Amino acid sequence: MTAKRPLYATVLMYLALASYLIFLGFPLLWLLSASFKSTRELNSLAVNLIPQQWDFGNYIAALERQNLITAAGNSMLVSIVTMIVAVLLSMPMAYALARLKGRLRAAGTVWILVSQVFPTILIIIPLFLVLRSLQLNDTLFGLILVYVTFTMPFTLWMLQGYVAAIPPELEEAAEMDGAGRFTILRTVILPLLVPGLVATAMFTFVSAWNEFFLALVLIQSPELYTLPIALRSFLGAEGQTQLGPLAAGAILATIPSLIIFGILQKKLTGGMLAGAVKG
Amino acid sequence: MRRIRGIGAVAFVGIAAIALAGCQQGSANSGGTDGDVVTLQFQSLSDQPATQAAISEIVDAWNAEHDDVQVKIIQAGWDGTYDKLITQFSGGTAPDIIHFEASSIVSFAADGYLADLTDLIDPDLKSDISDGIWESVTHDGQIVAYPSTLQSYMAFANADLLAEAGVEVPTGDTMTWEQLQQIAKATTTADHYGLGWGLGSPTATIMSLSLGFDGGYFDGEGDDVTVEVGDDELAVPERIHEMAYTDRSIDPTSLTQSGSDVLPSFYGGKVALTVQGSFQAANIAADAPEGLNWVALPPLEGSAGAVQAANPQTYSVNIDSEHVDESAEFLNFFMDGENLAKIAYADALIPSSGAARTQVAELAGDDAAWQQVLASGEGLEGPPFLKVSKYTEWKDTIATPAFQQYLADQIDRDELAAQLTDGWADVAG
Repeated sequence: MTAKRPLYATVLMYLALASYLIFLGFPLLWLLSASFKSTRELNSLAVNLIPQQWDFGNYIAALERQNLITAAGNSMLVSIVTMIVAVLLSMPMAYALARLKGRLRAAGTVWILVSQVFPTILIIIPLFLVLRSLQLNDTLFGLILVYVTFTMPFTLWMLQGYVAAIPPELEEAAEMDGAGRFTILRTVILPLLVPGLVATAMFTFVSAWNEFFLALVLIQSPELYTLPIALRSFLGAEGQTQLGPLAAGAILATIPSLIIFGILQKKLTGGMLAGAVKG
Repeated sequence: MRRIRGIGAVAFVGIAAIALAGCQQGSANSGGTDGDVVTLQFQSLSDQPATQAAISEIVDAWNAEHDDVQVKIIQAGWDGTYDKLITQFSGGTAPDIIHFEASSIVSFAADGYLADLTDLIDPDLKSDISDGIWESVTHDGQIVAYPSTLQSYMAFANADLLAEAGVEVPTGDTMTWEQLQQIAKATTTADHYGLGWGLGSPTATIMSLSLGFDGGYFDGEGDDVTVEVGDDELAVPERIHEMAYTDRSIDPTSLTQSGSDVLPSFYGGKVALTVQGSFQAANIAADAPEGLNWVALPPLEGSAGAVQAANPQTYSVNIDSEHVDESAEFLNFFMDGENLAKIAYADALIPSSGAARTQVAELAGDDAAWQQVLASGEGLEGPPFLKVSKYTEWKDTIATPAFQQYLADQIDRDELAAQLTDGWADVAG
């Protein structure tokens, strides 16, 4: 039983929350505003959030000129498959890494950290040659393979932290109740790991969704371009930017990831509550 | 159990999606031959819708006339293209025909990735483009690209603000730097600066305009190169620095921006003048607010004349292409006067050939801005830096930060000279 919060405290709390939300949401709001402004208005010094004249031409230009819908479809496919594969592969490895002891575990941990320090530019040519020899360059499958490889060290690292946070005593108690290893993993570990899995999945999805350089180099056919590649086409030489269509394209590109986040976030909350009750 | 089934379903969907994705193989790996039809991959970087339309029109015309050699445009963007092409060349999957700017293909040529086009270029076209421009795409005695369109740096002015300040709009064939400085000073008021100059990435602009003072920076070719940073090379940065910090006639904020970033200040009357790439003439004509009385000023003239660097847009042929001859044949068609004029006019750039310049002059009619754009093209010369193998590396890692520091008044003239010279010694090894 807690004491009733005074009204001024509640007001202040909501005010702080609203300010924070506005602070976070302002760039998106500005982007939305820019996407409806004409080139002439965008090039004026007037600072107005509400466009003087609502211009839908930027959306038409974005959709027509850079084939954004196809690119969004490619990005969605690549990001979702990368997310699923990376998380599924990382899950057992993370468990092993968190629970096993000995030199192998230490070596594994070091390798995960070391694998994060190589700059992409350093390995892009060998990577390109390997994929080419496998006839996987300029394919979405090849891109997924590379994304899974690149995201796995971090997903593994993230997940093993979640596994390590689950007390081993819970497993021991289940074992004493006669549960086998598989049953323990399925009924004890997995439910408690759901928030971690969801958080890791979200991270993997965003990494793949936003990735630019690997997609730029590995994908050559315009029909296989991902969204970041399609959006960068609005940037020209000498720093020229087609600001209106770029803003419209960026808004359109944000929608699918917002939907995915909306779906996953429910699971994240649900998982957290489930864990709390069991704990 | 339901959860396990859920995970199984998710895994199945994932694997199925991978299988589907794997089936989706791109088609642009390389040009190829399908029966008797040769398909050439043409990577275009044109970013303006009007230019893209002009290029499509030209390619369609070629494809309609040549059943045996078809051209497929691969539309790409400028961002990251250098790294992408390096990887494609290394992996043997670069397109047959490659669009890029001259200064960026130097290292490709040095590494032997570009075909020798010397004997494949249409003789009429060859004689219609000046030696200085051909020089900009010649490497080790071989012509490695077709130079298509060029830009110069020009000053644009708000004629009303000049009139308010009692300054006459220069009307001669050229305009001296002293005139620019005087106009900028005269038009600087408490409300606005005289000049806004987007020099966030200053190297290309400074090195191009330095040729007007005989400031070549480099001597030699390939790897056998020496750098010289003397009075001639520093004439342009010193003038800009003086205007920014002594006269206070340049908006210092603009020095950290891109050219496009400065345009709103020009449109809004916050600066009376702006120096921009000549291609901005088309953007200003399209985007300037109604009633803005703007003019393009005559080409800037230094002690060596109204000379600037010719760093043309180029079309090269991949040396590993199985169809070098067909690619060159297409490019001869592509560079025809009428075709090149269409592209140049759409992009507000200066075409390399005389025939195309004549056509553009006709298309432009009596447009005063276009007349100045074309006039500024007369002084374009192949600059020494286009012959330097490690120019791009020096530009990105040494010159740009050094010029930025100087223009931000963080280092003085001697420190700038030292950084540029010592930096070259480091880069050149």
